[in-house]
Amino acid sequence: MFILSFLVRRLLQGALIIFLVTLLIFTLLRVVPGDPVRLMAGGMAPEALIEQIATEMGLRDPILVQFGRYMGGVIQGDLGQSFVRPASGASTGGSGFGDSSRGDRAEVLTLIADTLPMTLQLAALAIFFALVFSFLVGVPGGLAPNRWPDRVAFYISSIFISLPNFWLGIVLALLFSVKLGWLPAIGYKGFAYTILPAIVLAVELAPILIRNLTASLASVMQSPFISVGRVRGLGHRRIVYAHALRNASVPLLNLLGIQISGLLGGVLIVEFIFDYPGLGLLTVNAVLQRDFPLIQGIAIVTSAIFVLINIAVDLIATLIDPRLEY
Amino acid sequence: MASQPVLSVRDLSVELRSEGRARRIVSDIGFDLQPRQIVGIIGASGSGKTVLSRALVNWIDPPLAISSGSVTYKSQNILDLPPNRLRPLRKEIAYVGANPMGALDPTLPVGSQIVEKIRALVPGIDTTEARRRVVDLLGAVRIPSPGARFHEYPSQFSGGMMQRALIVDALATNPAFLVADNVTQPLDVTVAAQVMRLMRELTERFDTAVVFVSSSLPTVSEAADQVLVLAEGRIVERQTPRKLVERPEHPYTVQLISEIPQIWTDSAPVVESPARTGRPLIRIEDATRTYRVRKRGTFASFSDVRAVRNVTFDVYPGENFGIVGESGCGKSTLMRLLSRLESPDTGRVVCDGEDIARLSGKALLKFRRDFQLVLQDPFNSLPPRTAIGAIIEGPLKVHGMRGADKRRERVLAVMSEVGLSAALYEELPLGLSAGQRQRVNVARAMVLEPKVLIMDETLSALDQTEQFKLLKLFSDLQARHGLTYIFISHDMAMVRRVCNRVAVMYLGEVVEIAENGKLFFDPGHPYTKALLSAIPTLEERRYRPEECLLEGEPPSPIDLPPGCSFASRCPKAFDRCRVESPSLSVDGKAGMAACFLLEGGPASIAA
Repeated sequence: MFILSFLVRRLLQGALIIFLVTLLIFTLLRVVPGDPVRLMAGGMAPEALIEQIATEMGLRDPILVQFGRYMGGVIQGDLGQSFVRPASGASTGGSGFGDSSRGDRAEVLTLIADTLPMTLQLAALAIFFALVFSFLVGVPGGLAPNRWPDRVAFYISSIFISLPNFWLGIVLALLFSVKLGWLPAIGYKGFAYTILPAIVLAVELAPILIRNLTASLASVMQSPFISVGRVRGLGHRRIVYAHALRNASVPLLNLLGIQISGLLGGVLIVEFIFDYPGLGLLTVNAVLQRDFPLIQGIAIVTSAIFVLINIAVDLIATLIDPRLEY
Repeated sequence: MASQPVLSVRDLSVELRSEGRARRIVSDIGFDLQPRQIVGIIGASGSGKTVLSRALVNWIDPPLAISSGSVTYKSQNILDLPPNRLRPLRKEIAYVGANPMGALDPTLPVGSQIVEKIRALVPGIDTTEARRRVVDLLGAVRIPSPGARFHEYPSQFSGGMMQRALIVDALATNPAFLVADNVTQPLDVTVAAQVMRLMRELTERFDTAVVFVSSSLPTVSEAADQVLVLAEGRIVERQTPRKLVERPEHPYTVQLISEIPQIWTDSAPVVESPARTGRPLIRIEDATRTYRVRKRGTFASFSDVRAVRNVTFDVYPGENFGIVGESGCGKSTLMRLLSRLESPDTGRVVCDGEDIARLSGKALLKFRRDFQLVLQDPFNSLPPRTAIGAIIEGPLKVHGMRGADKRRERVLAVMSEVGLSAALYEELPLGLSAGQRQRVNVARAMVLEPKVLIMDETLSALDQTEQFKLLKLFSDLQARHGLTYIFISHDMAMVRRVCNRVAVMYLGEVVEIAENGKLFFDPGHPYTKALLSAIPTLEERRYRPEECLLEGEPPSPIDLPPGCSFASRCPKAFDRCRVESPSLSVDGKAGMAACFLLEGGPASIAA
């Protein structure tokens, strides 16, 4: 019953958030300079033709009218069609203007559906790497504040946070792929292609997780119930794994919720470097091509994902610590 | 006694080691604990009680260290045992501390944590068996519906309930002895009295010897077979409780006994009321405050927490007005209404003829200047990184006093008035004792020359000696500045000493308002009698706990049942009480109480 009411409440809130995000993105995209029709039709197209296409596509209507039309589609699961990409495959963006009929343009939903699973796979692997590594480094650090494991955790996170991801990506690709030949790096032909980009993302995520885990574990270890637990006769291992980590995991979870949202920035760069066919690469291209419907689609889908992730995080946190009420 | 002692302590010393220096906290302690005996240890705060009680269960962490001595249980010194051999012994050595709320993991149900302990210490017991034992014990310590409580979380337990759960936790493995460190200290008097009674019963039933450590001599002397008096880490006297009280030998014991507040004796203070004439300074009229909280697990339904209900009273200039009641009775909400941190939902608070809810701008600032608050917690109410002078100066800046020199002069004047040396002006509050911190708090309030000081449990965190000194200070300040005090407290003995008139609150209502003498010698309300019966004191009690003491705890202020709110715990409740709610009615010349058992009509004059 609690979970049900929680979900209903949070999903309604989430829908509102997604709506506002969409409105914001939609408006911003239309006030920034750069006419997408010019890009579609090509630099040489006559002005009159551009006006004609634009009017046909409804791009000269007031923004609110355009937005209403768009949202009407979104509710029915239609995110519109790409301005630029043909349904058949590779896109270049209008060099020639052999005005291909609109039916040939790719559905935004399909484009996203093709690339999203790739990015989810990458993100999941990155989070897995980051968590495993953070626990290996952060738990000993949190159990020994101000002693060497704590310092090691501190130095590792300081180094990791100072590594720029674009540089690390290139270096890792050079080392493991070119020199050693252990892992493939560019493109995607199988699961192994996910590993290197995931490591780069994990290095970006880990330092904050490590710092948070060491700090919150160290402070939980100071709580009275830990030392009382010892006097009550609980073993050290039980105290650490069943009680201390359980309590320390709540702030970590909240942080993870935010971190995952921040992962998008990393995904853009990393996918671009490794030419990894995910949502990040799609976004970069959509922006370069001023592919409005695609950018909007991606924005809606990613904001929906963030909302869902944060709902999941809060739900798990409430299940761990029943005092929390979101 | 000829039998082998359960525990024998010899030459035990504990020191605090820091920066190469060592300071003795506890020195040369030696005593024996016989089977089924209760040994009481009494001492003021800072006498090393807690360190000693932790040393008895080998729970000494750096910077503390045991420097010498032995604690022998079953012919082995438990201080020398390595952790892996000590841990199985925890089954037989139990400890209950003064901080019940922090003692269990807040994220797991209480019951399963006790089961976890049993399973960790008693090999071979299965979960169902352990669970059954815990539910049985929870019932034995009179936790209502133990089966359901088993699955609840520590945050859902009240302090008294939690302390009982921890006693269950300690007794669940049938320990040979139990160290109880100040177990009743954080509890309300009526609950503390229940817990004490329970401990005595249980030690009989489970054959457990107890070391009972407390700062309250009355509490110890009621429970213990033998009392050790601890002063500055040494045992200065050991006696049976009766002898200790009648013929104390050591001057420290004599002093301790002299500081126990007198309630009903001839030497008890007589508090005269000033004439209540003219316009009341504060008039609270039928004030009600209800909080809405969302019901957990529902979509949009709320519960009403009725924190303050229909409270009416007047406070006249120069009075010491007391508001007493147990935790959760609405004292603090009432304080928030009086100080306009919140406004009542219905009713008014009138000060100097004006409804304070309507004040704004300059008039509000003037009101804030006249009505100052002094809060309970001396440690969290001062900013740790601000110098004491700057803390006291703060209100002057807020209220627009110009000139740094003038402000400094005023701050120094107030500091000397409350007994803080001028040398502390630039110091941080870090090194101050609780008493000095409360003086800073008082100075911060006094610096604006208020008319009224509202003391919300201001003295609760201090020991008797400090309380004495501060109360003296309060009366000096009152004589000099004509202050009016409102004391909000759960400490009946303190209220007895200083308040002219006292309002007793229960579940958000004022159930009795009476002059000091009337309230303590001839209370009108059964709840007041229960409070009086539970005061820790060495005196012959006017109200026997057996007749007056309550079972259980106040019902939740959410969704109150109809009728008198006290009916569920009242020993004298009858049918009418469960249907109809009594209002305050005149009870003699000096008081009013809300009880059907009193003669007389409804209150015609406001109190």
